[in-house]
Amino acid sequence: MAHQFTDAEFEKEVLQSDVPVIVDFWAEWCGPCRMIGPIIEELGNEYAGKAKVGKVNVDENPQITTQFGIRNIPTVLYFKGGQLVDKHVGAASKRVFEEKLQKLL
Amino acid sequence: MIDWNDKRLQQFGYLGLRAKQIVEGFITGLHKSPFHGFSVEFSEHRQYNSGESTRFIDWKLFARSEKLFIKRFEEETNLRCRLIIDGSASMLFPNDTNKPLELQSKYNFAVFIAAVLMIIFRQQRDAVGLSLINKDIDTHTSAKSTFIHHQFLMSILQKHLDKVKKESEPETLLVPALHQIAERIHRRSMVIILSDLLDAAHSPDAILDALQHLRHNGNEVIIFHTLDKKLEENFEFDNAPHKFIDLENKSIIKIRPAEVREIYKKNFEKLMNEIRSKSPKYGVDYYEADINSGLEGVLLPFFARRRV
Repeated sequence: MAHQFTDAEFEKEVLQSDVPVIVDFWAEWCGPCRMIGPIIEELGNEYAGKAKVGKVNVDENPQITTQFGIRNIPTVLYFKGGQLVDKHVGAASKRVFEEKLQKLL
Repeated sequence: MIDWNDKRLQQFGYLGLRAKQIVEGFITGLHKSPFHGFSVEFSEHRQYNSGESTRFIDWKLFARSEKLFIKRFEEETNLRCRLIIDGSASMLFPNDTNKPLELQSKYNFAVFIAAVLMIIFRQQRDAVGLSLINKDIDTHTSAKSTFIHHQFLMSILQKHLDKVKKESEPETLLVPALHQIAERIHRRSMVIILSDLLDAAHSPDAILDALQHLRHNGNEVIIFHTLDKKLEENFEFDNAPHKFIDLENKSIIKIRPAEVREIYKKNFEKLMNEIRSKSPKYGVDYYEADINSGLEGVLLPFFARRRV
């Protein structure tokens, strides 16, 4: 199950996390975001314990959205040790997201 | 009932007809293309910047939420596919002329699989290119989606079916040919290889390296490993003394199958398992194309898996 990150807990949940974190920036009204939604959920289940997988609703969390300069959605950011290490913009297949995640483990 | 072995029928583009019959048998009715996978046209929303063209603004979204966003599309949605067929001498096994044409040899089987796939690509208006390996790269066409190009490829396949049977080159080397093709594919494609993956001069690791080269250029790689499982893997020959001829270097040995069966099976399995088990690690989609399963038996699981 993917976490829902918010402005308030982003620092603690993502930047201070011990394991790699994937964050999917999305919105209700965005079709491509809904397409990759289930993929992100699946990755959350499959990598439970090894990596943290979560989502940020850009309408409800403007602070982190601006902080990372998210102008396109869906955008998926990859963090390791509190650092932004990779980024993917736009919809893609599960393999694409998984390959990037594998590199961080 | 059509007799597909009828010589008169074979003159009139047997390959195309038979492939079409198979396609109509099980592909018609599939609403979604089994190949597109996740290739969506509309891939993301981008914030609108003042001054930009208003052409791609998502007006429905604006009406609902008063947000100005631009719809971004994938550069290209149609698939580009390259079919690679191994025409080495070992592909001529088992050369059983009593069977229907498509099951007479691994090579024929591979050509028919390619023809079926080509018909599906044509229906989807996808671009297809063909590479035939026979000693060196015998044919390497461009990838196009026009009807005439598809017809042209089908005629090449038909001609090759007869040609390879007569003059297959003994020294075909799969590995260097795959490396060369990898260098020659300039645009990202789906690469489908039909081969028995037997290359006497190279180890399974060298074959996997060549596949990785293809993958490395951003292509999706699918392998149809053509084999006659009954004879090649299980070595099901009766116990009378047999003469085995190496189709590639023509050397001959006389043995009783039962005497070597166990050791042969063990070695063959080891060789093949190496490729089977390592394929997923290299990001290669592996499918077994056992000639005994028939065309439907090989293609149905493939389509079922691609549709997921």
